[in-house]
Amino acid sequence: MTAGTVAAPGVAPGRAATRGGGPSLVGGRGGIWFVLPFMLVYAAFVLWPLVYGLGLSFFDTSLVRDESQFVGLANYVRLFSDSEVWRTLGVTLLFTVGSTVPLVVIALVMALLVQSGVRGQWFWRFVYFAPFLLPVATVALIWQWLFSGDFGLINGVLTGLGLPAVGWLTEPDIGLWSVVILTVWWTVGFNFLLYLAALQAIPGQLYEAAELDGAGGWRRLSSITLPLLNRTTGLVVVLQILASLKLFDQAYILFKASGGPGGSATPILQYVYDTGFVDYRLGYASAISYMFFVLIILIALVQARLTRRSEP
Amino acid sequence: MTTSHRLSRRTLLRATAAAGGAALLSSCARGSGDAVELAYWNFFTGSDGELMVGLVNDFRAEAPGVRVTDTTLMWGPPYYTKLAMACAGGRAPDLATMHASRLPTFGRELLDEWDLDELAARGVSLEEFPRPVRERVQIDGRLMALPLDTHPLVLYFNTEICERAGLLAPDGTLAPIESAEQMLDAGRRAAEVTGSIGIAFGAADNLAGWMVFWSLFRQLGGEMRLPDGGPAEVDRDAVVQAMTFLHDMCDGTIASPTLDGQAAPAAFASEQAGFLLIGPWEVTTARTAGIPFSMTQFPALYGGTPYVRADSHSFVLPSQANVDPAARSAAYDMAVSMLRNSLDWAVGGGHIPALSAVAESPEYLAEKPISNYREAAQVVEFDPEAYFSGSGSTLMSRAGQSIQGVTSRSLTPEQGADDLIGWLDEQLTFGSPL
Repeated sequence: MTAGTVAAPGVAPGRAATRGGGPSLVGGRGGIWFVLPFMLVYAAFVLWPLVYGLGLSFFDTSLVRDESQFVGLANYVRLFSDSEVWRTLGVTLLFTVGSTVPLVVIALVMALLVQSGVRGQWFWRFVYFAPFLLPVATVALIWQWLFSGDFGLINGVLTGLGLPAVGWLTEPDIGLWSVVILTVWWTVGFNFLLYLAALQAIPGQLYEAAELDGAGGWRRLSSITLPLLNRTTGLVVVLQILASLKLFDQAYILFKASGGPGGSATPILQYVYDTGFVDYRLGYASAISYMFFVLIILIALVQARLTRRSEP
Repeated sequence: MTTSHRLSRRTLLRATAAAGGAALLSSCARGSGDAVELAYWNFFTGSDGELMVGLVNDFRAEAPGVRVTDTTLMWGPPYYTKLAMACAGGRAPDLATMHASRLPTFGRELLDEWDLDELAARGVSLEEFPRPVRERVQIDGRLMALPLDTHPLVLYFNTEICERAGLLAPDGTLAPIESAEQMLDAGRRAAEVTGSIGIAFGAADNLAGWMVFWSLFRQLGGEMRLPDGGPAEVDRDAVVQAMTFLHDMCDGTIASPTLDGQAAPAAFASEQAGFLLIGPWEVTTARTAGIPFSMTQFPALYGGTPYVRADSHSFVLPSQANVDPAARSAAYDMAVSMLRNSLDWAVGGGHIPALSAVAESPEYLAEKPISNYREAAQVVEFDPEAYFSGSGSTLMSRAGQSIQGVTSRSLTPEQGADDLIGWLDEQLTFGSPL
């Protein structure tokens, strides 16, 4: 069977031409060979680690010790009394709420502005999207200097205007919001692009008709544009929440792995990383990440239900 | 057309396979020639990185028969995680750099000991290292790390600012500072001259905070024992008092509560501060800035002995599944060569050389200001022993949070002490992963 399938493409051209249509790529047996490379990689780097990690979470596995013991649910019991788990989870959730709102609203406003017929649209499209193309390390380095307490540009401008300097990277109450600002600047371009595409898909006749009926700009926005963007907003919000829950790299680099002032910007994924790779406790780190995994699934389910209900 | 296409694709595949096979074969040929392959890992970047490349190149010139592959990884958790995993997997480099303070994690399982006879054959004996360092690098009487240097917390001072503040002795050195109050007062007077702050201190930098905290804690006679399973045995009073000093110092005038690790040396280099509290490696920053400055041993602010937090860059032999005797021998040669050539390392990076032959050499003693604080090597205090302690460790980063809470005034010194001790207790109940 293997030989036949492999040989087929070589024989096919002549026959296919006379038959006037080749074997279907979707239904034919050949299809499996096209998805196999992906499935292999997927199985090796997603499915297997998923199962392996779940197994790890029932052992006291250490990164630097060979033998490990089965400890049952001890890791899970432990994490419920580990205050650091809940504190860092709180940081992640706060970040998710705090970053999703501006990342959706600002992206929408930017898309509306660009769509409003401003000249040189390509330029604005490029400028708003450009930061998204930067690697995370570059973004964090740029903002480290901008946020710097005593030498930073932002504080320079603030003090120049007669305002007090802000400890962007040093005040426990502010550290996480600095990460939010950085993240909004960095990734808002992606949501902006989704919104812009959706805006351009709205047929122009709708606006013309509304205009003939005497609808003003605000009325057209609230009665045509926003309702027609509902599906896009749903998509953007889902993608954004999932992306924000994964907060790790920019906070890790911005605060040089320290977790921010007073630990105020330590997301739960950093706690997982520190537990597993700095304190060598792989089993416990797996348990925390599985707890978080279940939580993300729950959030995704709730969200799916909400969007289904809101649709007609 | 189709045929030629297919042929060329096959040719390409064949060529790729051949190239891959050749690469595989050549990598298998390791050690087949006369050159000995030696893999060396370190974590030095910036000016220390340049100096380290110099040391490696010196050895390359001395030993043309050894082909050294040096790998530089990011300092801190990334480095120690990679090294631990490489050791646990049995495929570690032949030689690696490590902070002596990290030995509790690595020393017992992941490293091979240095053979004293092999070292003696190369003219190095244990007596040549300062006593506190010597004690730290031995575990159960076995030498686990070969120290290259000691780098304590030191006090930098701007000679011009201090002169105008009346803080210099007649001979131009810093007038003795003998108590915490005198240190704070010196900071206040320097701040009057600069019009900004007196002491540049990285309050937002875990390393800077921990270095000063641990020095003061030990000067106050504080003890910290971290037994597996807990609870932590810590002198709470000493913690509170050390944190009170940091709280008082970071009042916005004596020292800023917001400078981070990069900004503190920059503030000193731009003469916005009369003093700088950090390790000796920032000597490069001060030299580059061309400001009038000097350096001195961190003074005794409490008690009579100027105990000071320090660490040692040292060389270790990571355990390997298969030890190549030729590479192991070359690793000894290379480590000893770097110790012998450590004058450049000391002069360039400010570190106190560990080897007495270098530390007592007239060339080193003539180097000012870096030889001013060489006596600190006799009173150095390493971090407490625990698997989560040492340079770039969880303890340093978590203690940094408590300390920063105090310096930023979101915690009182008492709350800061309880925060730190509470965390230590919790951490110890986990049990060691070693």
